[in-house]
Amino acid sequence: MKFLIALLLCALVGASNASVRSEYEVKAAFLYNFTRFITWTEPQADGSDLEICVLGQDPFGDLLEQLDGRVSQGRTLGLAYPASLSDSENCQILFVGSAKSRDLPAITDYATKHQMLTISEIPGFVEGGGVIGYVKEGNVIRFEINLKAAQSAGLHVNSRLLELAVRVIR
Amino acid sequence: MMERWRWQYWPLKTKLLLLTLSISTLGILLVCTSLVVVENQNYQEQLESELHVIADILAEQSAAALLFEDDQQLNTIISSLRQIGTIEQVCVYNVSGQVMSALNESGNARACPNLAVPPEVGFVGDFYRLLKPVTLDGDTVGQFYLISRLEVLREHIQAFIVVTFSIGIGIQVVLAWVALRLQRLVSEPVFELSDAAERIARDHDYSIRVPVYGKDELGRLGSAFNEMIGTIQQQNLKILQSRDDLERTVADRTSELSLANRELEAFSFSVSHDLRQPLRAIEGFGQALEEDCGDQLNETGRDYLHRIRAATVRMGGLIDGLLVLSRVSRQAMEVKQLDLSAMLEEIVEELKETTDPLPTDVSIQPGIRVVGDGRMIRVAFQNLLENAWKYTSKNDHRRIDVMACEAPDSITVAIQDNGVGFDMKYVDKLFVAFNRLHTPAQFVGTGLGLATVDRVVRRHFGEIYAESSVDNGACFFVKFPSSMQK
Repeated sequence: MKFLIALLLCALVGASNASVRSEYEVKAAFLYNFTRFITWTEPQADGSDLEICVLGQDPFGDLLEQLDGRVSQGRTLGLAYPASLSDSENCQILFVGSAKSRDLPAITDYATKHQMLTISEIPGFVEGGGVIGYVKEGNVIRFEINLKAAQSAGLHVNSRLLELAVRVIR
Repeated sequence: MMERWRWQYWPLKTKLLLLTLSISTLGILLVCTSLVVVENQNYQEQLESELHVIADILAEQSAAALLFEDDQQLNTIISSLRQIGTIEQVCVYNVSGQVMSALNESGNARACPNLAVPPEVGFVGDFYRLLKPVTLDGDTVGQFYLISRLEVLREHIQAFIVVTFSIGIGIQVVLAWVALRLQRLVSEPVFELSDAAERIARDHDYSIRVPVYGKDELGRLGSAFNEMIGTIQQQNLKILQSRDDLERTVADRTSELSLANRELEAFSFSVSHDLRQPLRAIEGFGQALEEDCGDQLNETGRDYLHRIRAATVRMGGLIDGLLVLSRVSRQAMEVKQLDLSAMLEEIVEELKETTDPLPTDVSIQPGIRVVGDGRMIRVAFQNLLENAWKYTSKNDHRRIDVMACEAPDSITVAIQDNGVGFDMKYVDKLFVAFNRLHTPAQFVGTGLGLATVDRVVRRHFGEIYAESSVDNGACFFVKFPSSMQK
C-alpha cells in the first residue's frame, strides 16, 4: 500500500515536472538531442568522448550536469567549462553564453577550425556564423541552423533535424 | 404417393448422378473454402506487413520531431496517412506516454488509448491495431499507435468468395454434364438388362438378347444373362415340343379309344338286340309247344320245357340289363334339378305293388334334391332299391332307410337295408358287370345292376361305395359333387 502511494506521488511529481518544464530544461534537452542528429566527419577516435563546453556565463545552472556521462551515437558526453576560447580546443560542442555576443566572429572562426558545433541563444547567432541558434516563438523553444557554417566546420547535419529547424541558412 | 419419392424408387441413373455430384460438390466446397481461408490468411498477413512497413517508416520519420516536441512536424508526418483511406486513427506518444499528435479519420473523434494499460493489438473486431515503439539509436523515444479499418480486407475476401464460388459452380456444371454423359456407361447396360428381363417376364419372348458392352462386370453380366436366356429358350422349346407330342399322342389315343368304345357299344347293342329275336322265337315256340303239345309230353318232358322257358326269361332279363347298361353309357345327358325323395317314393310304391307281401318299413328323408339326368338317376336308384328289396326278402321284416348328407362340395345319399349283406372282401367285385356275390339259387339277378349304377354315378362325376357285413344289412353311399349340382 505504501509502495503504491509512493508510486502515485512519483508519477504526480513527474507529470508536473513534465508539464511545466522551464525554458532551460527544454534547451538542455535540445542540446542533447542535437548531438544525436549531428555527426562529426573526422572523429578523433571511435568511442571518444563528446566534450560539451559552456563558454562564458552558464544559463543552465546545474541542468547540464544531467547530460554528463550520457551516451549519444555511441559517444559518451563530457562537460567542461573552459575559462577562455583558447582553453576550449578539446571541445566538440561549444555553447556560447549571451555575454560573448561581441566576440562572435572570433569564436565562430575558432570553432570552424576545430570542428566544433556552436550553439547559442544569442539572437542572430546563425547569421553571425554560428551553427545552431535557439529562438523563442511565443512560449515554444525552436532553433535555426546555419548549414553552411556546419558544413564548413565539417559537421554533418541529419536532414530530419533540418526539417525541424525554423530557418536553415544554406 | 410419398413413397415414390423415397430413394429406393429412384432410378439407378439418378443415384449414380447424385453420388457423383455430391462427391464433386463436397470436393469443390472444401477446395473453395480452403482457398478462401488461405486467401484470407495471406491477405491479412500482407495487410499486416504493409501496415507495419508504413508504421516503421513513419515512426522513423517522427523520431526527431518527437525529440524536439515539434507537434507541427508530427502532424505533417502523420497527415500523410490520410492518403491511405483505411487508416482510422493514428496516435503518436512521447516517451512518457503523452499524446503528441493524433489523427482521426472518421469524423468520430475517438480518444487515443492510455498507454498505461497496454492496448489490444492485431486483428480485433473490424480493425487492425498496432503499437510500435519509436526508436533512435536503440533508445525508445516514443510510441506510434495505428488503427486501420479492415473494409478492404472484407471487400477483397467477399469478392474472392464470389469469384471462387462462381468458378466452383461453373466447374460443378461442367462436372454435372460430364457425369451425365459418363453415368450412361454404367446405367445404360443395367437399364437395358432390367428392361430385357422385364420384357421376357411379361411377353415370355426368349429370343430377346441384351447388347454386351466391354469386358467388365457389366459385360460379363450381360453375356451371362444372354447365355441363361439362350438355355431357357432351348429348354422351353424342348418342353413345348414334348408337350405338343404328348398332346398329339393323347388325342390319338383318345380318338382310338372312343372309336373302340363306340364299336364296343354298337357291338353290345346289336348283340343284345339281335339276340332277342332268336330268344323270342325259342320263348314263343316253347310256349306254343307247352300249350299245344303239353299233353303228349310226360312229366320229365314238361319239366325240361319249363326249364327252357325259365332260361329264356333269364336271358331276356340279361339282354335287357345289357341294353340298359349300354344306354346309360351312350345316352346324351339332360341335366336338371330333381326331387330325389319323390322319385324314390314312386319306386317304392311300384315295388310294394309288384312283390311279396312282407311287412315293410321304408323311410325316405324328404326334400333330397340332386341335379342330373332324370332317367339315368331313376335307373340307378331303381336298381339300388330293387337290390335292397331283394336281399331283404328272406327277412321277417323289411327295413330300408334313405338319408342324405350335404357337405359344402358334395351331397351323399345313403341307402341302408337290413338284408343279408355281403363280405367286405368282395367289395371290389361289387360294381363289375356279371360279377355276383350270390348264386341264382339264393337270389336271382343278372350281375349288371350295380355295374349300371356305377356307370350312371360316374357319368355324373360322382362316386359310389358300400359298407356291409354278412347278415347285418348293407349301406350304399352315392356321392354327387356340388359342381354338378349347379
